[in-house]
Amino acid sequence: MEVKKDILWRVYLGFLGLGVFGFLILGKAFYTQRFEGSYWKSMGDSLHTKILDLAAERGTIYSEDGSMLSTSLPQFDIYIDFGADGLRAKDGKNFYENIDSLSISLAGLFNDKTAAEYKKELKQAYADKERYYQLHKKVSFEEYKALRSFPLVRLGRNKSGFIAEVKTKRLNPFGELGFRTIGLYRENSKLVGLERSFDSVLRGTTGKRLVRYVAGGVLMPVEGFEVEPENGDDVYTTIDVNIQDITERALMRTMTTNEALEGTCIVMEVATGKIKAIANLGRTPEGTYFETDNYALRTSEPGSTIKLVTLLAALEDKHVTINDNIAIHGGRWNLNGRTIVDDHHGPEVTTIKTAFTQSSNVAMSKLAYQYYTGKPKEYYKHFTALHLTGKTGIELNEEFSPLIRNPNKVKPKQWHPQTLASWGFGYELMVSPLQMLMVYNAVANNGKMMKPYLLNEIKSYGTVIRKNKPIVLNEAIASEATIKQLQECLAAVCTEGTARKQFETAPYKAAGKTGTAKVNDGKFKYRDGVYQSAFAGYFPVDAPKYSIIVVVKNKPHAANYYGGSVAAPVFREIADHLYKYSIDKQQPLQLPVQDSMLYTFAGMKKEVNTIASQFGFTYADQLAGNWRRSYLKNKTVQSQTVQTSNAVMPDVKGMGLKDALYVLETAGMKVQVTGKGRIVNTSVAAGSPVAKGQEIMLYLN
Amino acid sequence: MEKQATIGKGVDTVTVLLYYALVMVGFIAIFSVEFRMGDSFVQSLLELKKNYSKQVLFIGISSLVAVFVLLTDSKFFTAIANLLYMGGILLMLLTFVIGKDISGSKSWIALGGGFNLQPAELCKVFTALALAKYLSRPETEFKTLRSHLIAFALTLGPAVLSIAQKETGLALVYFSFFLVMYREGLPAIYLIVGFSFVVLFISSIVLSFYVYAGALAFIVLIVIYYFWRQIKRNFVLLAALLLVYFAVIGFKWFVDNVVFDKVLKPYQAERVLNMFGKSYVPKSPERIALFEKEQASGKKKDYTYNVKQSKIAIGSGGFAGKGFLKGVTTQGDFVPEQHTDFIFTAIAESFGFWGSALLLGLYFFLLYRIISIAERQRSTFSRVYAYSVACILLFHIMINISMTIGLMPVIGITLPLLSYGGSSLVTFTILIFIMLRLDADRNMVLR
Repeated sequence: MEVKKDILWRVYLGFLGLGVFGFLILGKAFYTQRFEGSYWKSMGDSLHTKILDLAAERGTIYSEDGSMLSTSLPQFDIYIDFGADGLRAKDGKNFYENIDSLSISLAGLFNDKTAAEYKKELKQAYADKERYYQLHKKVSFEEYKALRSFPLVRLGRNKSGFIAEVKTKRLNPFGELGFRTIGLYRENSKLVGLERSFDSVLRGTTGKRLVRYVAGGVLMPVEGFEVEPENGDDVYTTIDVNIQDITERALMRTMTTNEALEGTCIVMEVATGKIKAIANLGRTPEGTYFETDNYALRTSEPGSTIKLVTLLAALEDKHVTINDNIAIHGGRWNLNGRTIVDDHHGPEVTTIKTAFTQSSNVAMSKLAYQYYTGKPKEYYKHFTALHLTGKTGIELNEEFSPLIRNPNKVKPKQWHPQTLASWGFGYELMVSPLQMLMVYNAVANNGKMMKPYLLNEIKSYGTVIRKNKPIVLNEAIASEATIKQLQECLAAVCTEGTARKQFETAPYKAAGKTGTAKVNDGKFKYRDGVYQSAFAGYFPVDAPKYSIIVVVKNKPHAANYYGGSVAAPVFREIADHLYKYSIDKQQPLQLPVQDSMLYTFAGMKKEVNTIASQFGFTYADQLAGNWRRSYLKNKTVQSQTVQTSNAVMPDVKGMGLKDALYVLETAGMKVQVTGKGRIVNTSVAAGSPVAKGQEIMLYLN
Repeated sequence: MEKQATIGKGVDTVTVLLYYALVMVGFIAIFSVEFRMGDSFVQSLLELKKNYSKQVLFIGISSLVAVFVLLTDSKFFTAIANLLYMGGILLMLLTFVIGKDISGSKSWIALGGGFNLQPAELCKVFTALALAKYLSRPETEFKTLRSHLIAFALTLGPAVLSIAQKETGLALVYFSFFLVMYREGLPAIYLIVGFSFVVLFISSIVLSFYVYAGALAFIVLIVIYYFWRQIKRNFVLLAALLLVYFAVIGFKWFVDNVVFDKVLKPYQAERVLNMFGKSYVPKSPERIALFEKEQASGKKKDYTYNVKQSKIAIGSGGFAGKGFLKGVTTQGDFVPEQHTDFIFTAIAESFGFWGSALLLGLYFFLLYRIISIAERQRSTFSRVYAYSVACILLFHIMINISMTIGLMPVIGITLPLLSYGGSSLVTFTILIFIMLRLDADRNMVLR
């Protein structure tokens, strides 16, 4: 029985071991499920679910007339999941059958790699079983639509593994127009302009959604855990696209002809203070101009434009009238060892009005010095009344505060009497163009100072939630008599003063003041010969509608630097258009060019031939060259050769963009385009010499 | 010898019922892994494209095979046992030549039509038969070292081949035959030595070198204290003791530097160490280079992902489970290989602790039943074979469930009768039904 006992013992031991292990398993399972259950559950939830941000659609910035200035468009990032079941099924049958045609289609669509390269890369990614292969980023909606019809892609996400992630791209449909003021929204970069000021309004509220991963990496929303995103509100500005366009163009013309460094121009509605246009151009090292900075808000020594304030002070405090005589010593005045010089020689004595229209530095510094020495506070209170001691409060965060020494805060001993003399003709103080314009606008508005503003209203899903009304900053900046005299002087500047030449032929009467200041900023010293040309004014004189300021910083030692000859033409050009449009006839604004389609056609020789024969016009072309400018005369097509060469700017006006691009780019130029339609203007005039690689701006209508 | 009049006569009904119960549980589990709301049930069942529909086919094939087995004469098995064993070994060798690579292991032979055969699975049956045959030989005296070695060679031969095929899990199962041999009189010392190595292995992982050496030194001191008289008489004993001590310390070095750094693959090392809450830090230069390359490329895989997901599935099931087809982890396809090796997680998530306990109860009942059958056999052949069946099942169940709940490192091994797969299901069917056939003839003496 020894054997039986031994075997029994062994069997029992076996059972015991089995029992122990069984209990171990049961115990562990029990522990895992009963006590660790919630831990694993939460871990599962954290691994299997996540909270997705639902991007709110950013609001649109509109112009006053409802054109979109900055809006969001969808954009797609395309990825491929090479681990997708459908793609790998049957040893990648789908993939291998479609790879060739897909590669060809992709190469055709994106044009960045050849079909062979696409094929190679896709095959490699397939071999590596990449789950998130980046095919192409920033695909536009049009391209995305095309992509979806491609072989393989059209089989759907599960079979092709294609993933499209939608992002929105911020777009400024008018490109450079008011770019710096409108601003550009890009993720992770600093905002500027209205995009920055109204970011909180435009941004909206990001929504949240709880999603759970299910089979095949698909995300399923969990019901009841969703916060809808709230789209951003739309911002309606006071900007008028047409006026902005005119302004930008007029400024650009002056900038390019004078090769100026930077310039700004603001157009303001007199009665309300609405900013209708704000243009800023800065020169790039390549010689082109872009909206590089908001110069309208930057302060600088204003020069002669401040003389309006000097005169205002002297008139308002009843020290003089504009018809009083003043000694200007032929334009040179020695003041305690410092010589104040006028730009032009003048008589010994003249009236204050003439001194103002001729922009006499001597007269103006004398007014300030003579009547206010010892009582600078009296003078300073005019700055306060004109709101030149603080920001205008325009809805742009980039605004600078004016810098004017406050005599109230300075001990009399530290006060230098010369400061008053400098103030008189615009030095030792810094004011921004916008702040200066505000003063001129007040004079135009018969002494009522309006706060400049850019925001008309904010709309949320179409309903107005905030509406801005014009704000009066100061009901009367001076007495009626003073204002009348100031207006008379300003008008005289344009009829007999420094801006006389610019307005000789104008169909309306304008008023304003020129300014030419030596620049002394961080970069340039007075001796560098950099001048800031300015013109501030309003029109028409009888019933002022718009006030405009133009400030251009010229290149060093520029031949032409007077406010009257650099800045005033910009004013004139804008005023001409505005007058035609809104003041003269109250008819819709016509852009400065008429549609060239009506009477001329520019294009290839072959095309002109075709068109002529199609329409049954007589046409015989024996000219040289490939490009023609044709017009119809007595049912006969007349043609001229359009000269194309590498050294001279061809006349591409009237051409379609496709033709112009061809002509210019074969000549080695870089082309920038605004607008659509046919070419109505070019940044470099036809016939001017051009260099290879030069940037040319084309304006289309 | 007369043929049986009917198949059913003498066949143990309880085992058959248990078998079908488990197979059905398996089908439900596989179904819950793959079925998605909205799928057409009938259509996918008929199209044989889904795993659960294929499993239905395998169940059918298995039933057919079962009938064939039951129709076979018992003597046939004893007669052909050795031949089958050799055939099985040949098939395994054949995989090295014409083997098909399925998820990293070249242990499959393609049968065409999308079906594959894994000889290592089948070989378990053949080995059980061969061992039964050898131990039941009248001339086998299972007390001699020679007979032990032959039995070891019989059972471990296929294990070695399995390891060569990178099927570590299957290889482990062959060690279950030691339990059978133990029942048949294998001295306990083998098991004790084997068990000691397991303990040493684990403690060499868990303990730091000094603790390990210190603890062993402590044991040696105790041994010296108790056996001081013998040692005083014979100092060779002390020398032997010290030799063993240093050998065991050397074992730790061997484990640390050779086993983890050379023998095991990085993912295996990581899985094993992770079980004990350690992470794998490579020591050999080439491993370090590989490790750094993986980390630099950011493509370092999480080798513990399986267990984590598996535990999430099991743990989130809780007491009562989430309900059929309601398991998030299961329906979300999170547990890799859930329909095969990790099928237990589907049950545990859907039916919770009670469901898993019930499943374990079914298995326990089956094992108990098989051992009862084994003990009622008159012939050694049948008894050894039945014990082999019990031990193979036991090892499969233990290792599989232990790995899903994190008691053991992840090793590719199926859960008997539940896991998806033809090879596995057919093998277990043959295994169990041969036993039932033999049991039906339990009054016969088979050799």
